Amino acid sequence: MVQAAQQFADPSLKAKLVWSATLHAALGATILVSAFINGRGERWAGSPGDSISVGMVGSIPAIPLPKPVAVTPSRVVDETKGLYKDEPAPKVVPPVTAQPIPVFKDKKPPKIVPSRPSKVLEDPAPPPTNAVPYGGGGAPTLPYLAPGKPIVGSTQGDMSFPGSGGGEFGSKYSWYVDAVRNRIGSNWLQSMVDPSVRFAPRAVITFQILRDGTIANIQILQSSGNRSVDDSARRAIMSSSPVSKLPGDYSAPLVNVQFWFDFKR
Amino acid sequence: MPIGIVGRLAILLLLPISAFAQKPDWFTTGTGMGVQKARIAVADFAPASPAAQPLGKEFSDVVRNDLEFSGIIEMVSLSMYPTQVPSQPSELNAQAWSDPPASTQAVAFGNLSANGNALAIQAWLYDVHNTAAPAMIAKIYRGDVTDAQVRLFAHQFADEIVMKLSGGVPGISTTQIAFASSRTGNKEIWVMDYDGANQHQLTSLRSIALTPRWSPDNSRIAFTCWAPGVRNVVSAQICMYSMITGKLISFPRWSGTNSSPSWSPDGSKIMFMSSMQGNPELYIADSNGAHPKRLTFSVGVNTSPAWNPKTGLQVAFVSDRSGNGHPQLYTMNADGTGAERIELQDAGYVIDPAWSPNGQLLAFSWQRPDGNYDIYAMDIVNHQLVQLTRDTGRNERPCWAPDGRHIVFESTRTGSRQIWSMLADGTQARPLTTQGSNESPSWSAPRQ
Repeated sequence: MVQAAQQFADPSLKAKLVWSATLHAALGATILVSAFINGRGERWAGSPGDSISVGMVGSIPAIPLPKPVAVTPSRVVDETKGLYKDEPAPKVVPPVTAQPIPVFKDKKPPKIVPSRPSKVLEDPAPPPTNAVPYGGGGAPTLPYLAPGKPIVGSTQGDMSFPGSGGGEFGSKYSWYVDAVRNRIGSNWLQSMVDPSVRFAPRAVITFQILRDGTIANIQILQSSGNRSVDDSARRAIMSSSPVSKLPGDYSAPLVNVQFWFDFKR
Repeated sequence: MPIGIVGRLAILLLLPISAFAQKPDWFTTGTGMGVQKARIAVADFAPASPAAQPLGKEFSDVVRNDLEFSGIIEMVSLSMYPTQVPSQPSELNAQAWSDPPASTQAVAFGNLSANGNALAIQAWLYDVHNTAAPAMIAKIYRGDVTDAQVRLFAHQFADEIVMKLSGGVPGISTTQIAFASSRTGNKEIWVMDYDGANQHQLTSLRSIALTPRWSPDNSRIAFTCWAPGVRNVVSAQICMYSMITGKLISFPRWSGTNSSPSWSPDGSKIMFMSSMQGNPELYIADSNGAHPKRLTFSVGVNTSPAWNPKTGLQVAFVSDRSGNGHPQLYTMNADGTGAERIELQDAGYVIDPAWSPNGQLLAFSWQRPDGNYDIYAMDIVNHQLVQLTRDTGRNERPCWAPDGRHIVFESTRTGSRQIWSMLADGTQARPLTTQGSNESPSWSAPRQ
């Protein structure tokens, strides 16, 4: 291989090409001469009169050839009735005749009475200044507990206002409140809010923390007015569940939480 | 389930009693995009006997170190501590700790006794601003008098504090980090505590072992090993090590190169790179190696899969299918559909994807055309980038801690390749290994 490669790489091919042409010419001449010499002489089987006649084997009756194998019906299977019953004949199902769909007597399409155009009623009075936008407010849904006493343990009366501190829980277990705030705050990510929103009013969400730290009953108390901020706040609370277990010396089965979110980019 | 009439009556009778017995309290709080750090002090744990003196010092030091590195706690400087050191709740002068200069919110204190071979550590965490119910944690740890046992108790106490103050996120002080080290001459799998202590060798295959990955339940480590495969040809294969038995578990061998295993979040599947059918593609198999199935069908190399740990439905991986010779990050569904390239500003090598535990951030190492390998974190929703390392050697192969606040990675900033850990915002980087060359760290799940 190495030698062939070196020869191939040799640039002076003139002498070799001359040798090659000469040898090819000699080879061609040899083929022509030998064809001329071999073509003469006697043809195969001599002259036409000397041809041998050959008879086919089948025309000689003296040779005892074996008879062709004949296919005979097998006698192994006994056709007498056995112990087993025959398979019962399939039931004859009477063919179901297709029933034609009854034709309605009245083939005309029903008459459609065009409805009258509705009347637009203009309210002449302007909306009151303290009107609550539809679906955006109304009476605050307070954590419902014993009837007539919405927030047990509150020192603020029946209503709680955002940022007004808390009940006894907040002062007694302030570290727990801080921990919950930090946990939810760390799960509230800017990327979850619509990028076009730069600022949103405060959203307030209420929820309950059960004994084992599970967060339940998440409700929007006051919407920020922006769906994506509300959703991100709700998502931050959901992804924080479960928070730490309630303090061991706190006896109630749950604690109610009001959580506010101030969004600013 | 049907309830009989008697049962209904019983419930009706019981309901008002239980409602009046426990009154749920309430509180209100809020946030404005930001988290405050709690200010904590750890008093020296008082030894009950002179023999316990070094153990008490070690316990306090380990707790302080763990809290300092937790990322959510601001430690009060030791020089601000009051001179009187409490060892019992009765000795605590809350006023001295809550006033300046200490101005701490809570103080951890306690005592440590070693009688013969019985160790007992009493540990408290007290809220010094609250006189009504100051106890946040009150624990007694009992065990053998060994250095390792004291360290473990200190880690457990620190984890307890972190869990209380972070609102339920388990601490990482008792977690471990697996990595590949060549300090014995061959690259073997090693394991250490999260702070670099207690480094020990797991495998001794005397070949090459790389890319260890903890299973989600910490019972196994899958890694890449060089071993005889089909027809005894030595090639890269997937190996499996059991942390329960301390031995290798049999795992099927395939032809070609098989590497970079990655666990599904439920631990039932493994995704890996294999060239068993020629081209390096991603395959998925059961955790015992059964039913391998090809997931990617592309021209280039596909490797380094990383499963979104939150959803389990999305996989980030590295591929050079775009054809410009640069590996890039791609995401696809876990069944192999919907492969999509993560577009970054400029090309360059983008490798080693790693998901944060909440499935919202993707850390990776990126060689920008003009710079070094550095670690970046990207918000997967809006593709916002944060550069975590800068101007400090090659920084590669990030892996998140289970709390989502720490990242472990390999770096050549000291001249040799070592394991480092840092907070996920790039601060508090600290070396964990110093001997030999160490690479491809993997952080375990929280210890159960």
